Amino acid sequence: MLNRAFHDLKKYFRYSVVSAKSKLKAEVANSYLNWLWWILDPLCFMLIYTFIFGFVFDAREQYFPVFIFIGLTMWDFVNKTLLGSVKTIKLNKAIVSRVYFPKFILVLSKIWINGFKMMISFGIVILMMLIFRVQLSWNVLFFVPILLILVLFTFGCACFVMHYGVYVEDLSNVLNVALRFIFYATGIFYNIETRIPQVGGLLNKVNPVAFLITSMRQSLIYGTAPDWKLLLLWFSVSVILVLLGLRKIYKEENSYVKAI
Amino acid sequence: MSEYAIEVENLSVCYKGLKSYSIRKNLLRRKRSEKELFRAVKNVSFKLQKGEILGIVGKNGSGKSTLLKAIAGIFTPDEGSVELHNNTVALLAIGVGFIKELTGRENILLSGMLLGFSEAEIRRRTDEIIEFSELGDFIDKPVRTYSSGMYSKLSFAITAILETDIILIDEVLSVGDARFRKKSYAKMKELITQKDRTVVIVSHDSKTLLDLCDKLLWINDGEMMQFGATKEVLAAYESYTG
Repeated sequence: MLNRAFHDLKKYFRYSVVSAKSKLKAEVANSYLNWLWWILDPLCFMLIYTFIFGFVFDAREQYFPVFIFIGLTMWDFVNKTLLGSVKTIKLNKAIVSRVYFPKFILVLSKIWINGFKMMISFGIVILMMLIFRVQLSWNVLFFVPILLILVLFTFGCACFVMHYGVYVEDLSNVLNVALRFIFYATGIFYNIETRIPQVGGLLNKVNPVAFLITSMRQSLIYGTAPDWKLLLLWFSVSVILVLLGLRKIYKEENSYVKAI
Repeated sequence: MSEYAIEVENLSVCYKGLKSYSIRKNLLRRKRSEKELFRAVKNVSFKLQKGEILGIVGKNGSGKSTLLKAIAGIFTPDEGSVELHNNTVALLAIGVGFIKELTGRENILLSGMLLGFSEAEIRRRTDEIIEFSELGDFIDKPVRTYSSGMYSKLSFAITAILETDIILIDEVLSVGDARFRKKSYAKMKELITQKDRTVVIVSHDSKTLLDLCDKLLWINDGEMMQFGATKEVLAAYESYTG
């Protein structure tokens, strides 16, 4: 299976990139403020959360807007990729029912699209870090492995979501609710460890998205090193998830077209 | 010329209760309704040499399109096998194949890549495709703005110009207006008569079949009734259907 996956990846890699690019372009062409939305969208939500939680609920995190922005940026990536993957086979019925191609390429394409937006968002994070005069340390280098784990984990989950999305019509409703719950349990706009001390520490360990976001904040703005043992653990889990997801899709992808 | 391009052996394709279900329906009816097993194609075998043209006839719902999709690799066979000997294959069918929000030009590139062509190769031939499809300025508009005729023309043009080794045609020889139909028929004939190209055509038009095909396969309710020279099979089929 691994051989096949690598072979397919080589063969269809350009396709996934080109299709992601075209879709990004189409998104831009259809809206009024076009690509500005890629910046405006996270920026506006950051302002809303900063206002509500910084002002109304009186949160006292250091560099609070940057704190929120990092969380939002990473969450958006996970959220959009998963929600986008549920119906992706149905939405691509036209090509799925006409030619064979490995279906994980559709997930990959989603990863590029949302990854690109995430990178723009991180560009703003860097800008904000300059504005807030955040003290940098060598720990910022953890940026790369943390992001890698986030992408792998999301890819693995998205494979399963895409697969079951073919057969379970209302999976998108369930996923919507579940993701909303996880959103609040991830500590995007509050510090999960200090705000809910009873379960926060545990949540931070078992919810990989929360853990990765916390780690990213530690390394980027608070200059401390994240828990590398836990990072390694989640890296392994993510790799296994990706492999299982690929296996699932390979086994059943040729029945998809019969179900849609 | 004894090289086979398509070898189909004991091919069966089933649709078995693969209908999607919602969670509510599933909770209310714990036991899955008795396995709905529908065999669309049963035990079909044939071999086609490189350069041959095969016609498939049969009444609606007899499994012709399913057979084509199995050859194209879109369905995995439940039993038996399909061997294409590494030939590239394209399925040409009515009204399918494009991502609606993208422009015609982008769709040409993407479909071409899915058919296994390199980007350079596609870009080199894009102008030819656009010219053949007669879409003009529409090529840079999103495909969702196309009329169904334009849609089919573009779809036909891509397959016709990019020239895969094997072409599977599902009743699309009647695409577009009368003039385009004539042109596409001529182009199809030109493609088909090249001696390296292997073609499978599903059609209800006996004139087309007589005109183009070397061999004919007649299937009825998924079962293979007859496989042989066009004239004989067509005669048998026509006397059967009356």
